[in-house]
Amino acid sequence: MADTAVRAAGPRQRPPLPRPGTGTLVRTGVAAALLLFVLFALPQLMSLYYVDTMIQVAVYSMVALGLGVLVGRVGLVSLGQVAVLAVGAWIAARILFATTQPFPLVLLEAGVITMVIGTMLGLPALRLRGLYLALITLMLAGAIAIILATTNFPNGGHGFLGYNGSLVHIPPIRRPSIAAGDPAYFRYSVVVAALMFVLVLVHIRTRPGRAWAAIRQSEPAALAAGINTTFYKLWAFALASFITGVAGGVYAGAVHYLYSLDFPAQDSIILFAVVLMGGAYSLWGAIVAGLLLEFLPALLQNWGVSADWLTILFGIGVLLTLTTAPAGMADQVPKDLARLGRLLRGLARRGAARRGGPAGVARGDG
Amino acid sequence: MPSWQDFQPFIVTGLALGGVYALSGVGMVVLYRATGVVYLAFGAVGAMGALIAWSLINAGSPGWVGWLVCVLFGGAVTLGYGVVFGPALAKRTPLTKAVATLGLLLVLFGVMDLLWTTSGGESRSITLPTDGSGFTIGQVQINWTQVIALGAGIVIALATGLFLRYTKLGTAMRAMANDREITATLGVPVRRVEAAAWLGCGLLAGIAGVLLADLVALDATTLTFLVISSLAAALIGRLRSITFTFLAAIVVGLVQNVVTPISSISNYSDLTPFLLAAVALLAFSRGSVLSRSREEA
Repeated sequence: MADTAVRAAGPRQRPPLPRPGTGTLVRTGVAAALLLFVLFALPQLMSLYYVDTMIQVAVYSMVALGLGVLVGRVGLVSLGQVAVLAVGAWIAARILFATTQPFPLVLLEAGVITMVIGTMLGLPALRLRGLYLALITLMLAGAIAIILATTNFPNGGHGFLGYNGSLVHIPPIRRPSIAAGDPAYFRYSVVVAALMFVLVLVHIRTRPGRAWAAIRQSEPAALAAGINTTFYKLWAFALASFITGVAGGVYAGAVHYLYSLDFPAQDSIILFAVVLMGGAYSLWGAIVAGLLLEFLPALLQNWGVSADWLTILFGIGVLLTLTTAPAGMADQVPKDLARLGRLLRGLARRGAARRGGPAGVARGDG
Repeated sequence: MPSWQDFQPFIVTGLALGGVYALSGVGMVVLYRATGVVYLAFGAVGAMGALIAWSLINAGSPGWVGWLVCVLFGGAVTLGYGVVFGPALAKRTPLTKAVATLGLLLVLFGVMDLLWTTSGGESRSITLPTDGSGFTIGQVQINWTQVIALGAGIVIALATGLFLRYTKLGTAMRAMANDREITATLGVPVRRVEAAAWLGCGLLAGIAGVLLADLVALDATTLTFLVISSLAAALIGRLRSITFTFLAAIVVGLVQNVVTPISSISNYSDLTPFLLAAVALLAFSRGSVLSRSREEA
């Protein structure tokens, strides 16, 4: 089941208009069932601690989704997506404090403004390629972190920055009225995340997705085929920034209070590592990345194990991924399982041929 | 506007910091020229070396043992990484090679956070014996550590420049920067030359770790990400020129510190390396040296 689902979103080239065969129906069914389970059963099964954690998983799945579009679809490496998330959260918080607009509208505005900022930063950055693009995004992320540490996040103060350092009773950032409690807000964030996944899926299935695939294969070839590479690269930046901005808005509502310490510089790098490991080429990889990034640390913390072990594991994971499994875990694990299955079947067959049960398997192993 | 008097001490600290950035930047340039790797774990290696040195000194060993261990640790870890992962990634793009060093960075970062927890709020520091004594120029106190930092930057930049120009190993490194395959065909022991570059870069990371732990702070995050300042300098030197890397490092160090007394922008002083490097990257991409280099195509 997981196998077909993963292959659905894998990196392979599809015909432009896929026929709705049984595979597609199964995949859609699995995704829908999973979504329904997450929406209705999961909040009932989990303690409040894990509901909070799962909100973060939804947020970071969106961030990973945006980064996955850049890395996996177009081949642009950005090492500064957590800084973009911080920008989105800042904008959403500012609007939420300043106005009484409905929450979905604020999310949309946060996404659009972040998109504009991301595109403006992306425009000069697109002169660069490969390593230098990655380095300049690292620099920009560092710059944004320093600026946010100085301006602080809005806390209900006045003025453009909306920060008042002498405020004693800081009002919490509001949530939508229909999702004030944690389980309800969890459902809300899952729905937003699902919409973002659909948005990306639509992009991948249509013209931009094909243009991105061409650019990833070879930029000169794409150019020669008449694809406006700069335009589509910028489009990818815009889409990723929009999604990350929306995620920032959801994050702001989830935590109620924002501090620049919540967005440390190493998080952008850890995020990138996790997206690489989870698999940048698959949409499921984004969910895997979200779970790795937020759920596992919470689980370990609950067990009294330091989350630093995870950072170490992620580091090792990056090295292993780059040297052995370039498509990430969401791609590699099913492949390895399939290989293991084939191996076992082969052994069983050989064992049967030798009229042996377990002994035959053991002999076949040697 | 603060007066000239206010700026003087910051010029001294700026020059000292610039010296350390210079020796780090030079280390990164040498490694990049020989192996094509932008070593993003440079700061993390130095930071961990410094933390080990701190633990040793706290446990009662003499200071010089700690500093030596720090430098050797930098060399050992970097050489180990280079020997294990260098060949496996040799044929990949510069981007993949750089990202792989982020893996090392995360491993070291996790270990540091695990073993030397910062949650207790205890502050660690390494003090060199040269901190206490010094001399005065005008009204500015200068201690010997600052002199050593700037001096080390100058000496290492000079020595590396001469080494690359005149020695056999240096020539081999320059040849490998141009084409690894052809260099290997000519009979240069490619792996050994690469190992030498890794070792040299790692030793410099260790030296930078000790100096920065003394001059700035002994804190895993700070030291790990100070690598960006040196990286900025190396990028301004186009990851090629030792001279420009050195000059850029001094400028980054100076600007970052000299704006401190100007209260309106002092909070933003840490932006200096980011902005300078971003501008440099963009400006150079116009000359298309960076974006059309062979490895990038």
